[in-house]
Amino acid sequence: MIPPQFEYFRPASLPEALALLSTYADDAKVLAGGQSLISLLKLRLANPKYLIDLGGIGGLNYIRKETDGQAERIAMGAMTTYAEIKGSSLLQSRCPLLPQTASVVGDVQVRNLGTLGGSLAHADPAGDMPAAILALGAELKAVGPKGERWIKAEDFFLGFYATALSPHEILTEIRVPLSAKRKSAYIKAARRPSDFALVGIAVCLEAGQGGTCERIAVGVTGVTDKPYRAKSLEAKLKGKKLDRETIEAAAPAVTEGVDVIGNIHASADFRSHLARVYLYRTIQAASQS
Amino acid sequence: MMDFDQLFVTRNWVGKPVRRNEDVRFVKGEGRYVDDLAMDCAQVAILRSIFAHARVKRIDVSRAAAMKGVLAVVTGPEVAGQTKPIAPRAITKPATQFVMASEKVRYVGEPIAAVVAEDRYLAEDALDLIDVDYEPLPAVVRIEDALRADAPLLFDEAASNVLLDDTLEHGDIKRAYQEADLVIKEKFHVHRYSSTPLENWAMIARHDKASDSFVVWANDQQPGRSVVNVCNTLQIPTNRFRLIVPDSGGGFGIKLAIWPYMVILCLLAKKVNKPVKWIQTRREHLLGGTHAPDCQVELELPMKKDGTILGLSMKDYENDGSFVHTAGIYGLIKFATLVGCYNIKATRAQMLSIATNKGPTVQNRGVGKPTMIFVLERAMDIAAKQLGLDPAEIRFRNFVQPEQMPYTTPSGEIYESGNYPECLRKALALSHYEELKKQQAEMRKQGRYLGIGISAGIEPGTSNLGYYYTSRGIPEYTGNAEGAIVGIDYDGNANVIVGSVDTGQGHATTIAQVVSDMLGISPERVSVDNQLDSLISPFLGHSGAYSNKFNDVDLGAVIRATEKIRNKMLTIAAHALQSDVADLKLNNGTIYSAKDNSKKVSFREIAALAYKKILYLPEGLEPGLKEIAYYKNPMAKLPNKENFNVQLTHSNSVHVVAVEVDVETGEIAFRKYVIVHDCGNQVNPAIVDGMTIGSTVHGIGGVLLEEFVYDEDGQLLTTTFMDYMKPVAAGLPQFELGHMYSPCPYTLLGTKSAGEGGAIGSLAAVANAVEDALSPFGVKVTSLPLSPEKVVRAIRETKVI
Repeated sequence: MIPPQFEYFRPASLPEALALLSTYADDAKVLAGGQSLISLLKLRLANPKYLIDLGGIGGLNYIRKETDGQAERIAMGAMTTYAEIKGSSLLQSRCPLLPQTASVVGDVQVRNLGTLGGSLAHADPAGDMPAAILALGAELKAVGPKGERWIKAEDFFLGFYATALSPHEILTEIRVPLSAKRKSAYIKAARRPSDFALVGIAVCLEAGQGGTCERIAVGVTGVTDKPYRAKSLEAKLKGKKLDRETIEAAAPAVTEGVDVIGNIHASADFRSHLARVYLYRTIQAASQS
Repeated sequence: MMDFDQLFVTRNWVGKPVRRNEDVRFVKGEGRYVDDLAMDCAQVAILRSIFAHARVKRIDVSRAAAMKGVLAVVTGPEVAGQTKPIAPRAITKPATQFVMASEKVRYVGEPIAAVVAEDRYLAEDALDLIDVDYEPLPAVVRIEDALRADAPLLFDEAASNVLLDDTLEHGDIKRAYQEADLVIKEKFHVHRYSSTPLENWAMIARHDKASDSFVVWANDQQPGRSVVNVCNTLQIPTNRFRLIVPDSGGGFGIKLAIWPYMVILCLLAKKVNKPVKWIQTRREHLLGGTHAPDCQVELELPMKKDGTILGLSMKDYENDGSFVHTAGIYGLIKFATLVGCYNIKATRAQMLSIATNKGPTVQNRGVGKPTMIFVLERAMDIAAKQLGLDPAEIRFRNFVQPEQMPYTTPSGEIYESGNYPECLRKALALSHYEELKKQQAEMRKQGRYLGIGISAGIEPGTSNLGYYYTSRGIPEYTGNAEGAIVGIDYDGNANVIVGSVDTGQGHATTIAQVVSDMLGISPERVSVDNQLDSLISPFLGHSGAYSNKFNDVDLGAVIRATEKIRNKMLTIAAHALQSDVADLKLNNGTIYSAKDNSKKVSFREIAALAYKKILYLPEGLEPGLKEIAYYKNPMAKLPNKENFNVQLTHSNSVHVVAVEVDVETGEIAFRKYVIVHDCGNQVNPAIVDGMTIGSTVHGIGGVLLEEFVYDEDGQLLTTTFMDYMKPVAAGLPQFELGHMYSPCPYTLLGTKSAGEGGAIGSLAAVANAVEDALSPFGVKVTSLPLSPEKVVRAIRETKVI
């Protein structure tokens, strides 16, 4: 690795990290596992003057169940690795979409080092975890000099590597509501198993009376400049019986209003096609989960 | 082939799957690669062209040169002023190119300046301070662009972008057409891909002021030729250049082209009076670390209705990019496999080397032969379909038969041995071919698309280097040979130095097996120095690791040198034991008399006589126990357009593949992969298996994933492993291997090439399987790679991939 020169900090506490960030905000990058940022540094595509490594901060690495009145939820520290999510028995039993998604991120090395918070804050438009987070209706906790705030997943991703976090904020926790009725699946199309998604679809649904779909949330990644919730599609499927005909009729809405990207791995047309095919397959998989 | 009873005194090691003794060292990080060498070096970074085609109007290095930590800067014009242009090997048109671009850049990534600094970070920073004024020219990217009458010229002096256009006819091709019932015609396109070894190019250069001479450490694959190239280009006598090749982390051919960078490093080393090091980055490697050319091949097979092929006519356009040194060879080398495994009596081949603004091309695993077998084996399937024959049947009808061996092809290539029909029969049996066909029919009823593909290919080895020059007259190099030194040390252990280099093939293990059985000692007592030193090692212009020559001439040289040392030890032993040499035997590090077991002398005692007690040696015998030998393949013909052999051993294999295609997503999944391989006798079957599988995986990468993609301006879009996609273990098939053993009569051990066969046979096998899977949709496969998008588009719209 031959990056341009930068100054490296490894703060021991969150306040210390926030102080560094407020000093260097515009010239700083936060390192949270490094599985994306280090590649950019290597190629000199990122040129931060200061690197603030969150790896030395304790207490940002946890997966736990919380209760808020009647409701149950999962809270995960931002520095929780993909491997920890994949291996969590709590998640496997109560929120299997997260381990299922984490298990197809990159390869073993990436999963051992890369973190959930890192993935979300980096906001790669083809990242896997954002699709799951969107479909689960997660909330993300941003901590800054003025305190903390919660951002809904669907408001978090703004564009290419751009999020609702301000340059002075650090993502510290991801909170996911639990539901006993929820069925889910994540499937991605990728040229190789370890690749970013050409198209990735995460589906959460709850069945209602008579085999209809009472609630459905669809997170989509790889298709445009940011991961997104396919809301118009969801509206078309909600309350319906999810048979092949219904899904295929609604499927074009999965990319409705979206500027689909084309590159050497898949043209915009082919991506749209894959999104429709994988939408059906993912709903099928979720229904049978 | 030698009589093994004469050659070997034991049969404990040759032919056994001996574990590679190199591996522990490599996997523990104890390799000795260029970057591991403990030397205080200044570091080099190279400024590369950002344009595919442009005039360089001005290069201003003043800001970079003034930067703190920068020791020297060199530019293209300065290099051109001090060196001779790169010497072409195969092209016939004049085309002047220097190791660094001077007036004009011809590909994105071409070196135009280099910086030496105290460390690599500073050197890279300094590149940003070099100002280059480019005058962009229109880029020539595709073959058809290069051939247009008004195409911009890569080399004005050539007056054309076609740098070689040669047509060779052998046999009566006109008659083949006259007698044909039909002619299969197809135009194929194979994309640009390459090998990407774990270790990129790496080198250190040191200049010795007192003697004005250079030492270079580099992971070079063909040191014999590189020494000549570097000295010629620098215009220095050979005694002022020494090349040392330590461990090398993979080559596959593309490290044959690293010598131009040695020239640059020598000039820099001289400037700074300190060793200078350049370790190529992966991005640099993908940009300019040499590719296999993309090509377009128009193939015609005049045939009889019964499937008999009467002739083969080919027009081969190779997009050789912009490296004049090796441009043109991809066409010429196809003669090694021009007729594949078949009795084709007449051929016509037109070979065109096209210069474009794509990156440099050089020999890569199989060099044109993967393409040749791809187009031929695709055409066989197309013919079978047209004639209503099973793909296996049309091959059976055309195979060269075992009783025809050794078989000479129309152009003069000699296939030494092999049983091609039996090889296919074995592969069909191993793959349960008939069962697969039944399964295919069953699955189709369920809307699932299984396809079965067969490919039969020749895997040539040991280049007769004269072949390049069939187009240029008398060549500089002809034939093929290698050198070896075998010594016995004070302790009676053997040590071996060879002129070739190892790029991961396990040469040390294999050599130790052969020497052990020749001397009657265990392999632990044979050490093989993998390092080549041009001052010490026994090397020739042919020396290096390429064209699968190891099993032939490298081992040949080792055997000849070992015979010499054995004879000398026997002579000493006979004298010491007062015996006849004819009565002596070797066993377990001793020489004893077969007539009287008590009369014996150990290797150690023989070494003591040879090295120390030299007055007790037989009268007239030289002291010392070190012997050098060179071994030349006996079959190489002189360069002659009418009758020539391109390569000197010919292994063969059959691949039978079953794939399932997801017709909605275009994804291709392997269901079966059978390879039956015949490389004659095997010294180490485990290594042969590993090479067969590794090589096949490379081919699969080429068929499905790997591609250097250029845009219309000649910008390479695949400069990382995210975009240039190597196959990964997940998604690959479980390979089932079968072997045949048809000894080669013309190599000492009956061995033939191993290592490229998988990369050669796999392209057509997978493509044939995919086309078969998609036959209900009427899809024809004429190009690679088979990306999911192309598959889906062909099913839905175009019907052609």
